[in-house]
Amino acid sequence: MNADSPSTLPINDQETTDPILATPAQQPKLQIRLKNEDGVVKLILPTEAETPASASWNDLLEQLQQRLQANIRFWQPLAVVHLIAYDRLLDARQLQAINDALSDVSLQLQIVVTSRRQTAVAAATAGYSVTQQLAIDPLVPPSNANLTPLLAEPIYLQMTVRSGMDIRHQGNVIIMGDVNPGGEIFAAGDIIIWGRLRGIAHAGYPNNPQCLIMALQMEPTQLRIADRVARAPETPPPQFEPEIAYITPQGIRIARAVDMKTTPYLRELALPPSLRPD
Amino acid sequence: MTRIIVITSGKGGVGKTTVTANLGMTLAKMGHRVALVDGDFGLRNLDLLLGLENRVVYTAVEVLAGECRLDQALVRDKRQPGLVLLPATQNRKAEMITPNHMKWMIGELAPQFDFVLIDSPAGIEMGFKNAIAAAQEALIVTTPEISAVRDADRVIGLLEASNISPARLIVNRLRPAMVEASEMMSVEDVSEILAIQLIGVVPEDERVITSTNRGEPLVLENNPNSRAAKAFENIAHRLCGEKTPYLDLSVDRGNILTRLRKIFTK
Repeated sequence: MNADSPSTLPINDQETTDPILATPAQQPKLQIRLKNEDGVVKLILPTEAETPASASWNDLLEQLQQRLQANIRFWQPLAVVHLIAYDRLLDARQLQAINDALSDVSLQLQIVVTSRRQTAVAAATAGYSVTQQLAIDPLVPPSNANLTPLLAEPIYLQMTVRSGMDIRHQGNVIIMGDVNPGGEIFAAGDIIIWGRLRGIAHAGYPNNPQCLIMALQMEPTQLRIADRVARAPETPPPQFEPEIAYITPQGIRIARAVDMKTTPYLRELALPPSLRPD
Repeated sequence: MTRIIVITSGKGGVGKTTVTANLGMTLAKMGHRVALVDGDFGLRNLDLLLGLENRVVYTAVEVLAGECRLDQALVRDKRQPGLVLLPATQNRKAEMITPNHMKWMIGELAPQFDFVLIDSPAGIEMGFKNAIAAAQEALIVTTPEISAVRDADRVIGLLEASNISPARLIVNRLRPAMVEASEMMSVEDVSEILAIQLIGVVPEDERVITSTNRGEPLVLENNPNSRAAKAFENIAHRLCGEKTPYLDLSVDRGNILTRLRKIFTK
């Protein structure tokens, strides 16, 4: 997978693709869904009807790998995956490829749900639990009403978070403005503050140590990531610049934003679990 | 036997939190085990005055919600090991607290301490009722102004109705020079209206402002020149040696006034 040039890859996430930038050729109706339901990750493949004729198996696999890697910090290690394949025909080799992609991010494929007999046989032969659904109506799009996303959609707030306010969100939080002393932000994912952070920011709430806090001016009352707490130094630095807070085995540390790519631990957050140093 | 004392006033801005922080610090310096409870849910700032804001992780609300143990929420003061703070929350969850919650929480807290000082919010609504729920005694803080005295009077009535006694009076931010010139109510004027035992008079002192902004209560460092610091210390001593508080006061007040008079007659 070529992670260095994501803009040229066929990313088909409708929720994030900018309609102005996307040309029709880059936006086939091919959509992998990854959802979290009670700690189980549901990997939902597009139905045959949703798949354009031009889209190949390789496009699908590439998209899967990219989606998995892009969310790498938010997977629970060894979480169980249910593959919802609908009427898609999958052979043993393709199932193995899906399993490999999941293993790369420490996820375990456990159950395959399919309406195709051939797929069910291939999955059972490979040793997965199989649930065979009745044929679905290809004209009715699969319902995801009862599925909650892995992380909620990010929220973007253009405001000053004042004393006594607390912002709580099951996803990433972006604040365009300052967070004053006494203001608090709790995010299941990352916190990005385009402004001054002078209150409390808790990223990875309650227990994801892979999350980050970023601020243009970092002078917090407290920083919290997962179950760690840090206080700002008694004497503030003479000059502020954009900084990133992250977790190391020694506790929460702060790096200059421009040093992100060269800072140990911070750099490694972007690596798959198997390549991370302990 | 633990003494549970609420510090209240009715009117805002008269110095409840400053009194709480300085009395707590003095009592801890005297060797007592002291817990300060911020009863000002929603607009907390006892943690700020004590310079402990950045060490607050859990608050009373998390204790009541069962999200942490009581001892996890207590913030220990590193400068004065006998002193701990139970912080208030400042978000909307504050509204869920009831007088029964406070009674339970302070009941749990009390056995480990000699003094529990509860900093009450301004007003006489729910926050005030919560703050006084578990208290046995009260310190009424007022300034020599008719509005503050009027509110203090109302609060004393409410405390009497709740059987909290004794309620004793602290006259804060007195400017003896203005009293001399008959431009300010005197301590006697205030006492006459409120008719409760006086436990101390704290003169106006600019150093209170600097100490507040630095998060270091005035009495933390030895401030022999600060009359306000001395006044806080005297109140703490009177609180412990209850036999002769009124006598102590007259000496104390005489000292301040005569010293000031000297300054002015120079």
